[in-house]
Amino acid sequence: MTAARLSEVPRTGVAVTAATPARAPIDIAGVSQIFQRAGQVTHALDRVDLAIAGSEFVSIVGPSGCGKSTLLKIIAGLISRSSGTVRIDGQEVQGPYTNLGIVFQSPVLLDWRNVLDNVLVQIELRGLDPKQYKARALELLGKVGLGDFKDRMPRELSGGMRQRAAIVRALIHDPPLLMMDEPFGALDALTREQMRIDLEKLWLDRRQTTLFITHGISEAVALADRVVVMTPRPGRIDRIIPIDLPRPRHKDVLASRRFTEYCDMITECFMRHGVIKY
Amino acid sequence: MSADIPLQPVAAPTLGAAFVGWLRKRGGVLAVFLALFLLWEYAVWLFGVKEYLLPPPSKVWTEFMKRSDIVLSGAIVTTQEIVGGYLLAVFVSIPLALAVARSRFIEESVYPVVVFLQIIPKIAIAPLFIIWLGFGFTPKLLIVFLLCFFPIVVSSVAGFKAVDPEVMDFAHTTGASGWRMFFKIRLPQALPDIFTGLKVGAALSATAAVVAEFVAADRGLGYLLQQYNGQLETPMVFAIIVLLSLIGLVVYYFVELVERLVIPWHVSQRPAGVTGI
Repeated sequence: MTAARLSEVPRTGVAVTAATPARAPIDIAGVSQIFQRAGQVTHALDRVDLAIAGSEFVSIVGPSGCGKSTLLKIIAGLISRSSGTVRIDGQEVQGPYTNLGIVFQSPVLLDWRNVLDNVLVQIELRGLDPKQYKARALELLGKVGLGDFKDRMPRELSGGMRQRAAIVRALIHDPPLLMMDEPFGALDALTREQMRIDLEKLWLDRRQTTLFITHGISEAVALADRVVVMTPRPGRIDRIIPIDLPRPRHKDVLASRRFTEYCDMITECFMRHGVIKY
Repeated sequence: MSADIPLQPVAAPTLGAAFVGWLRKRGGVLAVFLALFLLWEYAVWLFGVKEYLLPPPSKVWTEFMKRSDIVLSGAIVTTQEIVGGYLLAVFVSIPLALAVARSRFIEESVYPVVVFLQIIPKIAIAPLFIIWLGFGFTPKLLIVFLLCFFPIVVSSVAGFKAVDPEVMDFAHTTGASGWRMFFKIRLPQALPDIFTGLKVGAALSATAAVVAEFVAADRGLGYLLQQYNGQLETPMVFAIIVLLSLIGLVVYYFVELVERLVIPWHVSQRPAGVTGI
């Protein structure tokens, strides 16, 4: 329903229609990553296999240094892998994959552009016509509460607002795939909570295949269709937990016993590997 | 979210209000300058200092007015050397810096040579230029160029190379071509550093022109300075020093004005320094 409303944005000229569901299945097979520095060999990732269905929301949780960010960068084709294959939509990833939106822990906005132009830089860098995307940019900014801040410079915004702008920038071209590398990691707890709620809304609109990296256990459960738990270095997949909770995940869902049980399952994985000790 | 909404920017002040504001902010500086001139004038009179040692400001002014034609035509020559040499430096050093930043080969082969050459005292080369190129405009132009060139290259290279890796990661996911990435990201990101170099170069340019004229010249403010110095016409020496300072100041503030227009997002971020006139 909300997706249909997006398509009715007047005269965008952009092919954003509800008829084409965003799908970008990802197939990761035997991906390993070995760094060699000053004669020291580090296994960052060890034979990771993971199949993500189109339109699926997958959270990856793991302790710091488990290689989860490395995995995201390998999938996006931003760094090369030591071995294994990554296929998105059936095509093997070799070099940067461009049919996606990406959000990092820091918003990486351009200091010299206001919020709206920071969103539209995505369009400009792709060689598309920013005029055609302006209406959609304003609509998305409105949805994340930045409607009145479109003319502000990044330095005039709070950390949460900057990250909202970065999320809009990642979605402006309506990509079938969204990758987020600890996007709320630098935000305070309250902002983080609100951002999580808003992200779910945005995702329910378009159902992009989403890969969400975090070290927040409850955040991972609250957002995902499946949670991938990783072991400490060398990063391996410890356990994949399907999250069977109704959406949207309102506070009564998050207060339910099932939610707590899912969180406990992840905590126990971490306790088994000594990441969390009591 | 609403708790940390920044303050609304205030409306732009009118011209009159801006002047009053400027006077309030800079009035202290003006007062100190005025006081120094008065003290100078009075001290020279009080202690009976000889005019060829330290002329009072009033005498500097009257002597300057008597020979303003000669001095001003000299000032035009020197200004041309400053502006010409400086612009040449700008147009050579920024593309060179870009080449250094973009090509590993140039960075490893050409750039070390450039840095090594920087160690040579440029002023020591000035006599050579006279031998090669004579007394005219060209050797002065080249000396100004040489002195301005290095700071602009060095800071521009730093600017072009200091790219946030995550910004580049983002840019790579868009599949943008090298040139598009350059104009949309690398160049704007480098501009603050480039302007730092441009301002250092601008500050050096007047010195460079005067030194070049000291070595060998038949016109220009540096030439006149030596002439008047030789004849112990100290008031004229002072007049020329003041004029040279003014030319340097104008060149510097012109570059700063351009900076304000080109990268207002950066200038407004920086705390107003001593140069914020």
